[in-house]
Amino acid sequence: MANKDVKPVSMDQEIEQLTGMARDEAILAHQDKIEKEIKESTQLVSEKMPLSVLADEFKSDPVYCQKIDDLLTTHRFIRKTRGDGNCFFRAFGFAYFETLLTDKVELHRFIGIAKKSKEELILLGFPAFTLEDFHDTFMEAVRSIQDKPSLENLVETYCDQGISDYLVVYFRLLTSGELQKRADFYQDFIEGGRTVKEFCSQEVEPMSKESDHIHIIALTNALEVGIRVAYLDRGEGGKVNCHDFYEGCIPQTTLLYRPGHYDILYS
Amino acid sequence: MANIAAGRIQRELREVMNSDEAIKNQIKIEFPIDDYSELQGEIIGPPETPYQGGRFKLHIKVPETYPFNPPQVKFVTKIWHPNISSVTGAICLDILKDQWAAAMTLRTVLLSLQALLADAEPDDPQDAVVAKQYKDDHDEYIRTAKHWTTVYAGGNTKNQELEQKVKQIVEMGFEETCAREALSSSCWDVAKAIENLMS
Repeated sequence: MANKDVKPVSMDQEIEQLTGMARDEAILAHQDKIEKEIKESTQLVSEKMPLSVLADEFKSDPVYCQKIDDLLTTHRFIRKTRGDGNCFFRAFGFAYFETLLTDKVELHRFIGIAKKSKEELILLGFPAFTLEDFHDTFMEAVRSIQDKPSLENLVETYCDQGISDYLVVYFRLLTSGELQKRADFYQDFIEGGRTVKEFCSQEVEPMSKESDHIHIIALTNALEVGIRVAYLDRGEGGKVNCHDFYEGCIPQTTLLYRPGHYDILYS
Repeated sequence: MANIAAGRIQRELREVMNSDEAIKNQIKIEFPIDDYSELQGEIIGPPETPYQGGRFKLHIKVPETYPFNPPQVKFVTKIWHPNISSVTGAICLDILKDQWAAAMTLRTVLLSLQALLADAEPDDPQDAVVAKQYKDDHDEYIRTAKHWTTVYAGGNTKNQELEQKVKQIVEMGFEETCAREALSSSCWDVAKAIENLMS
């Protein structure tokens, strides 16, 4: 008869002994804890701050310091977003909506695209009843720009998690919709032998999934909104490289990328 | 519970109750008055599977952060399936974890669970013992899963031989549930099951 003490202990059992929780539960609890820490330390979208705050953050890192100096020749302010995996969508959404505060023509064009998008997404098979929910909240936010174009309101909207996350979800759905509509084109960008549909349900539609180039290409194409991304990374040369999305666009806003995160840049 | 979650859950409950599947009595959701955070779900076992004829009860906990985080779902009815713990009812299903999306609904969840019963993923198991049996001795897995469906979920494929074996071990002074679990894990080999129970 086997003796209980010498039975091999599996990893799951070990975790259970240590934490008093099953493995999945322990992982989720740990993730919750990290999320909570991030939540308490940064706003969803911050106030506009002088770019020197970034220099302070990286003052012990010569590669980044040199690049931040380079960035300072063209940009002076930064608006940070929370690092919760939704930062690209939140940074893009805020920066673009901010341009709409003063650009009536573009706002008019965008309302047209946004209105039309609902039917297109339903045709792609998204459940109408939840989609409507997100679409309505999204349209409400866009219309409030029309009715009351104030930066203060916009900051408030984007810092209210209840509304802000709805906007992120809708941007994610728009991204997924574009990828699926032009699946033949996007298929070549997808790694790991996955179909476009699988990629969308694994990497685009769930909240907190980080964005890659393909997300950016799809969203900027879907809305025909051009952005510039400045790359603050470890690449050589001491200069910040920029890339415009979609290809050949006139960028309306600039985002700052550092590995794993997007913020908004201002000149 | 936050207002967003409560409002949305109310609409979702209506969606489930008015769905074709609910009308055909294939899925069901019940909830206590004015509390939408703890729900009772029910799905029937899909036809042509070992779960056919069974009704499986689920416990659904809706988090404050719903719909941005998934509902937490567990099987209340005991079930023998590679992706569901035979002990705790915990479920391994991507959409209940990192592939949940806010556009999904409780109806999506119930239908996905039914699909999981029809199409297990033994390479991503929740219950390693069941998964191993599923892969190594599939006939034994089917026999055991059918037996559990009958005993716990009201299915109707009685198997006298298996019942007899459970009884044999119960008569030795073991609890019935433990006896059945031990037998199921050891492919209904009575000697092996007893050895496991005594170790």
